Amino acid sequence: MLTYTIRRLLGMIPTLLLISVVCFTVIQLQPGSFLDQYREDPRVTPESLQAMTRQLGLDQPVWAQYLNWVKGIVLHGDFGYSFANSRPVSSLIWERLGWTVFLAVLTLLVSWVIAVPLGIYTALNRYGKRSAALNFLGYLSLATPDFLVALLLIALVLRTGGTNVGGLFSPDMIDAPWSVARVLDLLAHLWIPMIAIGLEGVAGLMRQMRASMLDVLSQDFIRTARAKGATGQRVLWGHAVRNAVNPLISLAGLSLPSLISGTIIASIVLNLPTIGPYLYDALLNKDQFVAMTLLMFSALLLLIGNLLSDLALAWADPRVRFE
Amino acid sequence: MHVRTLTLLTLALLGTAHAAPKKFTGYGSLGIVNGKSGGTYTLPLGDSPQSLFYYGAIDNNLGLISQQLFDGLVEFNLSTYKIEPALAESWTITDGGTVYTFKLRQGVKWSDGQAFNADDVIFTYKNMIMNPESRAGDPGNFKLGGKDVTISKVDNMTVRFTLPRPAPAFLLQQRYFIMPQHKLAKYGQESGAKPGDINSAWPTNVAETEVVGTGPFKLSNYAAGQKVTLVRNPNYWKVDGAGKQLPYLDKLEFLIIRDPQAQVAQFLAGNLDQLNVTGAQFPDLKQKEVAGAPFKVMRSTALFGSPPFVAYNFDAKNAALAKVFSDVRFRRAMQSAVNRERIIDTVYNGLASLPGHGVAPANKAFYANTTRQLGAFSLSDANDALDAMGLKKRNAAGIRLLPSGQPLEIDLTYGTDSAVYPAIATILQSDFAKVGVKVNLKGILSSRLLATGQSGDWEMILHAFGDQPDPELRRPIWQPGGSLYYWHRAPQPAKDGDPANTAKMAPWEKEIYDIFNKAAVEPNAATRKALYTRWQLIFAQNLPVTPIAKPENIGAISTKFGNYVYNLGVIPGYNPVPLIYQK
Repeated sequence: MLTYTIRRLLGMIPTLLLISVVCFTVIQLQPGSFLDQYREDPRVTPESLQAMTRQLGLDQPVWAQYLNWVKGIVLHGDFGYSFANSRPVSSLIWERLGWTVFLAVLTLLVSWVIAVPLGIYTALNRYGKRSAALNFLGYLSLATPDFLVALLLIALVLRTGGTNVGGLFSPDMIDAPWSVARVLDLLAHLWIPMIAIGLEGVAGLMRQMRASMLDVLSQDFIRTARAKGATGQRVLWGHAVRNAVNPLISLAGLSLPSLISGTIIASIVLNLPTIGPYLYDALLNKDQFVAMTLLMFSALLLLIGNLLSDLALAWADPRVRFE
Repeated sequence: MHVRTLTLLTLALLGTAHAAPKKFTGYGSLGIVNGKSGGTYTLPLGDSPQSLFYYGAIDNNLGLISQQLFDGLVEFNLSTYKIEPALAESWTITDGGTVYTFKLRQGVKWSDGQAFNADDVIFTYKNMIMNPESRAGDPGNFKLGGKDVTISKVDNMTVRFTLPRPAPAFLLQQRYFIMPQHKLAKYGQESGAKPGDINSAWPTNVAETEVVGTGPFKLSNYAAGQKVTLVRNPNYWKVDGAGKQLPYLDKLEFLIIRDPQAQVAQFLAGNLDQLNVTGAQFPDLKQKEVAGAPFKVMRSTALFGSPPFVAYNFDAKNAALAKVFSDVRFRRAMQSAVNRERIIDTVYNGLASLPGHGVAPANKAFYANTTRQLGAFSLSDANDALDAMGLKKRNAAGIRLLPSGQPLEIDLTYGTDSAVYPAIATILQSDFAKVGVKVNLKGILSSRLLATGQSGDWEMILHAFGDQPDPELRRPIWQPGGSLYYWHRAPQPAKDGDPANTAKMAPWEKEIYDIFNKAAVEPNAATRKALYTRWQLIFAQNLPVTPIAKPENIGAISTKFGNYVYNLGVIPGYNPVPLIYQK
């Protein structure tokens, strides 16, 4: 198991290098440059543009820019410089990582806690009216984009005279020290993003759980367990659910990168201080090292998520074992 | 030698030379009254500031914050747009308009209590404004006719600029924010830093106490991606009519909200106290106001702001089209097919008026009435005019044929992510089709419009350039051969700074070119005005671009606050916020 993990971790290095080359190439293929936004301003003379091109190292060939960036990471752990913010990329990202992780983990947890039981329920009561209703709701929420849900919720809050329409805090609570009042204020704001972002996840997971449950329920070992005289509860939880949940474990690992890019539009509409909109801006402005770092971070999360779900799978399913 | 001395100091404060606060008064016509102290005023900010150092990034959000933290030597009168003393208490212009001597205001203190003096001004001009490596500097304005403007210290409270030639707009330009030398010295070239180092001063994670200014507020807190909080600067140098220290407000907050719809929602929920709105949002908000919502929606005519225009590429890649586009008869004919009234009614909800030609109609100092030259919307006139210029033949689809036999089909480049461009583009397309000119819509991001214009890879473009109080400030746009005069690139000099290629200009372009060169150095205000009047008439007759409409300014403000004056955004030297008070 340990050697397997180490082997997998080492395997990530060439993969990441390859991904970084692809990402860098794609960013370079985008038309325009970071300095385009400066051309619009009458204050900026062509000499200033040249000076800025030199300052930012954009006068160097593309391959040199790439190699310098990789060298900085390997030798100094330096992820480059944000053109827009005149600051190292890493400190900028740290600033926003806290709320991003908090929101992502929370929505993930909430959607699991809701989706898994619902999936089991709809699988066990395939033909019930309630399952049909739940399934319908599932389809509906799958089909509704998260930002639309967010907008609808905002409109609803406004209509009822509420003031919690976006952000994580009321204006005067944003920079207040932590207190009971601040936590309550957070909770009063949190439910909108939970519903808007979580709903789509719930629907998907629920469908996955249901399908997987149905699959398992028709398997021989369930019949065998029943024939051996195991109780209904034991068959259900000990055999059916335990087996049906495996595909979801893989799914959980794969959902790690959504930390960064999963909720860009909803974050913009709901005004959440997460990293997603930041990546979006960096890509639009060609703030290349911010975009690269975030994309690489996302790729790394995907690889790690994959590894974690493989390990979890091995732990959960005795049939999967590594040498 | 012609010596002109301008002393605009109207205050009888000369006796108290040690503390000479400016009486920020005389705005009764704008509904300004004496207010009371206290309160928090919350404004939206479109995105996180990229830096907290104004000269480190050209960033509108940073500009909005900086405007409350810093002042320049001079500023605008809020109602007449005339230049008034700010950090400079008075000034003289001597030696035929080439020497500007600014006497600094006595007793001004930075927000940390240090005294403000000539060294701060010189430091700021040398390291930021005149430094070509500073990203948001303005070095171009300090090179006149290829020679440098020099700045020198006369004494501790006097600064002198010596110009290589007269430049009447120079005073108007000196609204640049002045920065504290005592806080930024280590980024200055005097202490051995590289010229480009200045850009990394005050990044967004700087300690709040480092950001020191002379403006009405000082930085108190920045919560990344969420909020910027400013608090009253106790050392501010302005007082109201009753002698009470400004600003009235205790706190000024900027909530970072990226989405315009989310901004409206936050305003309706009462989390924002003021919001600038578009014509499209106006009816809904006005309705709510009438129904008793606790805010007012106010309209005001605009001097600043960007009126959209449509331009045709005189150097289009398709030679047959380029020939038609550079024919003034074509541009005039097409103007008759521009339905300005419909655009004003449907796109702007009636909240726009007819445009000027390079000068806003609200600009009393320079506007020449060219309304008649805008003509009237008439498809039959357009048809006749196009027939008359020999574009009579049409193909089976009814599209006019060029002399070469190809159909008169034009790509119109416009910004898709704008509230007005897509609607205007469709109206133009449908009306032009009725006179046999086929328009294909080609949408791009609005932020790419200028770069696309300058690349020359377009046929017809819908774009906008901002109005300014003095046409000299927009010279690169409207002077043929200027760096932003992109609809006719041929006269552009091969190297920037060289004189334009006048041989490639049409006679009317040559005349405009000469007018701008003359007006730039003409010290007599009346003669300058006459020159720019002539320019506007030539513009209106020859239509280098066809202006479409001048949008009005619309602001919504909570009824909790008094003394609101519309504020477009980042206009250095135009800041009514110190007057706002909580009722």
